[in-house]
Amino acid sequence: MKNPVNALKQTSERYKTLDAKDRKKFWIDGLLNNAIYIILVIFLIYTYMKNSNIASASSAVNLLNLVAANLPMALGIGGCIVLTGTDLSAGRVVGLTGAISASLLQATTYINKFYADMGEVPIIAVILLAMLIGGVVGLVNGFFVAKFQLHPFIVTLATQLIVYGACLLYYMSNGNNGQPISGLSDKYTNFVKGTILPKIGGQSIPNYVIYALIVLAIMWFIWNKTPFGKNMFAVGSNPEAAKVSGVNVFLTTVMVHTLAGITYGYTGFIDAARIASNTANSGQNYESDAIAACVIGGVSFVGGTGTIGGVVLGVVLLRIIFVCLNYLAIDQNLQYIIKGAIILLACSIDMRKYLTKK
Amino acid sequence: MKKMKRISALAVVLAMVFALTACGGKDEGKGTTAAPENTTTAPAADGEDTTTAAGGEEATTTAPAAGGEIAQGGAAEGVKVAVFYYNFSDTYISSVRTALDAELNAAGAVYQNFDANGNQTTQNESIDTALTDGYKILVVNMVTSGSSDTAKSIIEKANNHDAQVIFFNRAIEEDGNEGAVLGANDNICFIGTDAPEAGHLQGKMIGEYLLANYETVDLNGDGVISYAMMKGDEANVEAIYRTQYGVEDANAVLTAADKPELAYFDASSQSGYQVDMDGQWSAKAGQEYMQTNLSQYSEANNNMIELVICNNDNMAEGVVSALQAVGYNTGEEGSKTIPVFGVDATTSAQSLIAQGAMTGTVKQDAEGMAKAIRGMVESTAAGTPMADGIAAVAGTNDIYSVAEGVANKLYVAYSAFTGVE
Repeated sequence: MKNPVNALKQTSERYKTLDAKDRKKFWIDGLLNNAIYIILVIFLIYTYMKNSNIASASSAVNLLNLVAANLPMALGIGGCIVLTGTDLSAGRVVGLTGAISASLLQATTYINKFYADMGEVPIIAVILLAMLIGGVVGLVNGFFVAKFQLHPFIVTLATQLIVYGACLLYYMSNGNNGQPISGLSDKYTNFVKGTILPKIGGQSIPNYVIYALIVLAIMWFIWNKTPFGKNMFAVGSNPEAAKVSGVNVFLTTVMVHTLAGITYGYTGFIDAARIASNTANSGQNYESDAIAACVIGGVSFVGGTGTIGGVVLGVVLLRIIFVCLNYLAIDQNLQYIIKGAIILLACSIDMRKYLTKK
Repeated sequence: MKKMKRISALAVVLAMVFALTACGGKDEGKGTTAAPENTTTAPAADGEDTTTAAGGEEATTTAPAAGGEIAQGGAAEGVKVAVFYYNFSDTYISSVRTALDAELNAAGAVYQNFDANGNQTTQNESIDTALTDGYKILVVNMVTSGSSDTAKSIIEKANNHDAQVIFFNRAIEEDGNEGAVLGANDNICFIGTDAPEAGHLQGKMIGEYLLANYETVDLNGDGVISYAMMKGDEANVEAIYRTQYGVEDANAVLTAADKPELAYFDASSQSGYQVDMDGQWSAKAGQEYMQTNLSQYSEANNNMIELVICNNDNMAEGVVSALQAVGYNTGEEGSKTIPVFGVDATTSAQSLIAQGAMTGTVKQDAEGMAKAIRGMVESTAAGTPMADGIAAVAGTNDIYSVAEGVANKLYVAYSAFTGVE
């Protein structure tokens, strides 16, 4: 970690040596490089001027909850993007693992129980199963990407279809006939939505926020402190060079996708209880927000660049857009346009950094 | 050596494919009632063609009818029927599919189901393929709801192959353009619901519920009920009607009893609803909107949302989940309940209503729909004109009614569901 005060001093020293033209460039670059933060702040200030409720504690808690729900998947998909790939199967995996989690953890008294004769299943077993299933899908993705040098886009496009088919069959099976799976047991609901933290501004902070922080810490550790994390960036920026310097490219690719799959499984487990209604369509398009969040946060499709902090920022920005547009009560048709424009703007400004570097 | 490797890889892939198909067949069998695993050859309808249905595990044997109300058992013996669903993942459509599979089995038809997965192009291509494959009766759940052009293009395809089309569920004509397609083609029919009816029923149910519980619902005692509205899809005709009539009809009931009209909770909103941006009618949208709303609107701020109207039950369940997170709608003694209304009467919504966590929904009769379709398949197979077939089906049960002035359009009634008989 650089000392921020020293860094600032250095910058000001450097600034003094610049001539008028370079100084102008310095400011413009500075503005553009931090454009995402600036957009964020402007957006918040504008919303605040129209509706001061945005600055309340309960609004902050709401934002925190939304970010916590969307963060783990973005962290998983971020790894795939670091490898210049992507993952389209994420949303469907959430749908499938959510269905399985919900069906295993229904209240024993529920009338339309999926597994009618099954007693109580330990929650920890179900969360592990969900993560295992997600991990297996990720493993398959990673295997095909690494073994056959296929682009992750096409591999995950294929697995996404397979997982969706499995999900549809699961909903039709056991006499469920495609009905939503609900009637979750109190234990499960409390595990996810219950709260052990004090209420803030009348809004409670559910447990899944704590779990999201744990996931965040684990992912930060993996990305920054393990050889696997270092290998991931090496493979992402130049697989040939990584191979020559002794990195096992095959294993790294498989592991990155498996890790991503595990985060989808986790998301499925959490979302099944958070949303409390599971249909075959649950999870559809989840990946689009997650991918957008990563790219907004500076995880570049160029490969080899990206930080955990960036992903968090991206998720926060997207959720702030969602909350602000609602607080502003903007016409819903316009919301699509605004969201699209902000994503495009944020990403292009961010990419500019890498383009000028090259 | 390398060749060996390739061959073994191929073998593995083939094994996987077979394993998948086998699994598919088994689960499909469970979903339908007593559909045998393997197909038998069915006598072809027109004698020209003696193939079995392409999707082996979907087609079934000629089981005798199990007490069908509409027609005698086996009336569609061996007739090839292709059924096109707009989306397998839709909850209500899944109920229809299960019921219709059973009905068609009972009728002895050889049928195959196609999933358009929400894409009209996919559906058109499936229709082309099925027509080439010799299917003469098409049962179509159009993807593009309310488009007469889409309907016309499907009818044209069918006419080129002398096939007949039974449309169901999703509207095939624009609003205000009734009879444009159905009136012009007597070899087709439509079985569906009157699109605005669900909204009307929901609105009436809400109005009546409010009159009976006005004081309890009006939490801040200002005499006006503030409501939130969750819309499923910005462009869907049904969603638009439900959004409109859910409120308008409730207001009509309220004003008739000298009560003020409902007030949208967010006075600065121009639309008066929140819509699922992905058009999925999803619980996620319901949950996230409601959670965000509740961060601004609460009893502590004296502006709590006092009523939530949702276009469907999935969104309603999401809303209930968000309300439960702040201690409402738990169904426990002494806890406050914000009335939440949906449409569809899914099993999970029914159980929420039983718990007291949700207040009411509108039921679409999936079995009634399937029985009507079976009736039409049988009468069409027997060569009965569509209009006569529709009249015959309408006579079998009170839930059916023939549309005014359009003899080949049948309505299946909705009914309000509040868990109280």
